Amino acid sequence: MAAFKRKRGGQTLVGKKAKKVKIVADGADASIESEQENNNEITVPAPVSGGKWTNKERVLIFSSRGINFRTRHLMQDLRTMMPHSKADTKMDRKDKLFVINEVCEIKNCNKCLFFEAKKKQDLYMWISNSPHGPSAKFLVQNIHTLAELKMTGNCLKGSRPLLSFDPKFDSEPQYALLKELFTQTFSTPRYHPKSQPFVDHVFTFTIADNRIWFRNYQIIEEDASLVEIGPRFVLNLIKIFQGSFGGPTLFENPDFKSPNMHRREIRLAAAAKVREKQMVKEMQKTKRTEAKTDLTTDVTADVFRTPAEEKPVLIETEPPVPRVAKKKKVNGYIRQRMARR
Amino acid sequence: MEFVEEEEQLGFDSDEEKSELSDDELQEAFAKGLLKPGMNVLVAKAKKSTNNVEGLKQCLAEFRKDLPWVESLDMTNLPAEDLISKADGQAPAGVNEDINADDDFQREMFFYRQAQATVLGSLPLLKKHNIATKRPDDYFAEMAKTDQHMQKIRKKLISKQMIMERSEKAKKLREQRKFGKKVQIEVMQKRQKEKKAMMSAVKKYQKGMTDKLDFLEGDQKKPKDAGQGSKKAANKKGPNAKRKFKDQRFGFGGKKSGKKWNTKESHNDVSSFRAKVANAKGGKGGKKGKGGQQNKRPGKSVRRKMKSRS
Repeated sequence: MAAFKRKRGGQTLVGKKAKKVKIVADGADASIESEQENNNEITVPAPVSGGKWTNKERVLIFSSRGINFRTRHLMQDLRTMMPHSKADTKMDRKDKLFVINEVCEIKNCNKCLFFEAKKKQDLYMWISNSPHGPSAKFLVQNIHTLAELKMTGNCLKGSRPLLSFDPKFDSEPQYALLKELFTQTFSTPRYHPKSQPFVDHVFTFTIADNRIWFRNYQIIEEDASLVEIGPRFVLNLIKIFQGSFGGPTLFENPDFKSPNMHRREIRLAAAAKVREKQMVKEMQKTKRTEAKTDLTTDVTADVFRTPAEEKPVLIETEPPVPRVAKKKKVNGYIRQRMARR
Repeated sequence: MEFVEEEEQLGFDSDEEKSELSDDELQEAFAKGLLKPGMNVLVAKAKKSTNNVEGLKQCLAEFRKDLPWVESLDMTNLPAEDLISKADGQAPAGVNEDINADDDFQREMFFYRQAQATVLGSLPLLKKHNIATKRPDDYFAEMAKTDQHMQKIRKKLISKQMIMERSEKAKKLREQRKFGKKVQIEVMQKRQKEKKAMMSAVKKYQKGMTDKLDFLEGDQKKPKDAGQGSKKAANKKGPNAKRKFKDQRFGFGGKKSGKKWNTKESHNDVSSFRAKVANAKGGKGGKKGKGGQQNKRPGKSVRRKMKSRS
């Protein structure tokens, strides 16, 4: 950072013109070098903000301890995608959640994305408006990061995104609130010093199967041909709170099933199956070993009784006379025989 | 799980029936009159979940920031037209029909089309505000993914393509081979059929069933009817020169034995009688003229030399 300090309100920079010589522009966080096609000189434009950056949104993105590599990469990807984000160290699990509000204040952020990993398996995401505003907790699933080879798109680092919402976001109040939250969090403010002046990618939020699906596409052509950049994830809403990381519950998702319950149900189903099998086996065993009663009269004795005369029993004392085998006389071929007839 | 009756009973509070379903308790409940005859089904109680609509709306009103569109660049829209399913002839999905989240392709196409619709809608607005979407070719800036990574992606795509191409080629070759074999078999079968037909025609003639000699001309007639040009070209090659030579030299094969029979005809056949040879007329005198060159067998030493040489 140069020693030059910009005054608030940006009065000093308003009238500044672009420099014609290649010197690092002072006071700017990140200057963009661009060659003018017309001139052969290298022009360094004035910093993008130029005093016009009014929408001061800053998002704090950090996580708790115990996250796995995929979550870490997701966090880093979000930080890459959002130039108005700030990073922080991992938070200890033993601290209560409202501590996060203080962290946000220290970092001068007014939005927060907090990733919490439980049991090294489940990932929860908190999104909140820091001092007073609403907050929401989600369960994150189906994470795919930027680095996956199937995500072939690419975009400028820090370019402003278009946001695309499903019309279902307008239909119910909880979704409307979430839409506002997402809009303020994910949209890069105009004239942010780290932002790029081009708009070349679009975030989509869609509601399907009671979940919110997030996708990020790169705009290749003006005719809206798109390629996916990543990351992508699915958010399952759990609760919406009135305060930031606390406060009364405004909305609770009735379709949400905690991952623990889900796993438990699977285990119980498997256990029930095994138990049933065992029970059936036991019943068969007892049936086999129980005392069998002997019936005095056979119920089925009359089945083969046929009402006919009894023949006298013949006992042969001498062996039977052997029969002379008669040799079959061949009268000729079949055709000839038929012809003869 | 709570125990709920199939037929609702007035004033029945399900909270009181939290007991397990042992027989004694069921009997008690029946005695009390809380159970009715018939099937009683266990139903899970509907979870009470908060939905503070008023609170949500109020919160939203307080929290909302009415920024101009340029700041947030957001848009709410339905997906763009589904050209693919239209082309296929399927009826496109209804306006707000639930996307089947399990059908991956349909779902991703839905998201894609939604993004497309947003882009198409936003472009004119962006133009109005003079925000560019196209990056000039010489604008070099840091990208979200490093160049190295993009190289990896490109390599992977290329390798996938190569694998597909190779498998396609292999499949085609296999098909060709099978096809070639089929053709060969067909040709052989055709030849055998023709031979059989010819033999049977000859036999018929021999036995006197037909007295037409059409089968001899059979081969010549057919090509005349069918395309002559191609047949002529094919016949030009005909049997190989090599084959011709061998036929010439070794004859046409056929039965070796059974050619010489001592029948009346062969006995009466005196065509191969040479009077001169039989009667030995003009013996040594006639021979002397050519004698030296005709049958002169070289001597032993010369023969031995010849043998060793060859």
